[in-house]
Amino acid sequence: MEDNIYQVYEDEIRSLEEEIQMLAEKYEDRQQESMFYSDEEILMSIKSFQREFQGESKERESPSDLKAQLESLETDLSFLMKFTGIWFTRHSKKTVEKTGSRTIQKHRLAGNCHSLPFQLEFQLLEIKNKESVSAVITNLNIIMESGEYSGVSKFVSSIEEHGNLLPFFRSLSSYAEWCEHRRCTFLHFK
Amino acid sequence: GVLPHLERLEARAHALALRQEAAEQRQERLARLQGRAQELRLRRDELRAKLELQQKRLLGNEGVATSGDPDAAQPSDRAILEWKMRNVQDLLQLFYLTGLSGKRTKHGVCFCISTAYEGTYLDSFYLDLVTKPQVQIRRHSVPVFIPLEELARKHLQTDIKRFLSVLSDHLNAYVGRRYQADQLQERFSGHLEGTLQRNSLCNALVFKYNTSGQNEAFPFSARLLYGDPCRSLPTEAVVSCTSGAPAPLAEATAAHAAAFRRLPLHRALEALSSPRRRPD
Repeated sequence: MEDNIYQVYEDEIRSLEEEIQMLAEKYEDRQQESMFYSDEEILMSIKSFQREFQGESKERESPSDLKAQLESLETDLSFLMKFTGIWFTRHSKKTVEKTGSRTIQKHRLAGNCHSLPFQLEFQLLEIKNKESVSAVITNLNIIMESGEYSGVSKFVSSIEEHGNLLPFFRSLSSYAEWCEHRRCTFLHFK
Repeated sequence: GVLPHLERLEARAHALALRQEAAEQRQERLARLQGRAQELRLRRDELRAKLELQQKRLLGNEGVATSGDPDAAQPSDRAILEWKMRNVQDLLQLFYLTGLSGKRTKHGVCFCISTAYEGTYLDSFYLDLVTKPQVQIRRHSVPVFIPLEELARKHLQTDIKRFLSVLSDHLNAYVGRRYQADQLQERFSGHLEGTLQRNSLCNALVFKYNTSGQNEAFPFSARLLYGDPCRSLPTEAVVSCTSGAPAPLAEATAAHAAAFRRLPLHRALEALSSPRRRPD
């Protein structure tokens, strides 16, 4: 009989802990997704953060750690963009649903692949299971200029129908490189 | 006598002390649990209120707040930097979705080739490359039945992007074929006799099936060959029917073969099994 009352409290505690975690994550996600800081603001923050640090305790990460981490991430990103030719110029995401192991986020993305601009939006469903995270794309919408190649709109419809985001980028990459080659070849012969 | 009487009294006092101690412990435990629950309830209520305020603030500014927003509590510099870090991490994760990501390492570059089939992301494969004195593969997680060495010999030194592109074609096609076979096995097990037979590269499949979905007879026999390692649809599909099967079934085999050549495996069987089309 007495054990029951402990169980009741322990169950309540567990459910509260889960709810707290979910609420805290929701708050953080919304903060992240609704803010925007320009590169100048970021630079200013780095500078003033380093000045502030003089008095702060050693327990938290030092500003030089954070700065180093940020620089390392930006180096990685810059390498990838240069190598692949894919430059993301605008990106926003919004968490639409987050329950237990399921997360659905709506993404809006714009950029250039070599000199071909693209704009797209999609929903990303992620399901966490014990060993891994599975990811599925739905509601893919692509906006692209048709340019000189008339088959582009057919290509785009087929991509959208099957959520083929990965083949889209790979085809875009090949096509953009081919355009570059052609442009360089024409210039060469001018 | 006095002694046994004293002993009894002592024993009773001892038992009483133990019971009291146990009761006190139970009280303490209960108080602790109540305290913790109370603490958590408060914290939860605080968070709910915070979220409501945040919602009001965000809706008031059409969902986008800039750092100039007078209503938003001025975030600390640390918070701004952490925001930027999460932002950059998000972009790096997007590269995963494009099929090719990676980073520089001490000795060269480590690439990650991701694969997907119709919007579902599947396996990723790693290639750890050294770049000096020549580009060479140091380590990788590409399966042995993918002709990695042959592709490397052809393209790695001359055009690394082309190497990665062709390798990605092979890997995506392989994973796509495997995924279709898995889906067929999983979602149409009532239509299949036993398990699908396949090789490691999943470019040769043999199975017996029916279109009724009832686990009785499996009149059809299919053999699919995927002659192009970079494609996930078969180049050859042969469907035969058991001798003695009714005529409509025997006549349907050509249509079945055409469906397997044209559609992903699981979708082909789905189409062939839909009540409208079934000959049986």
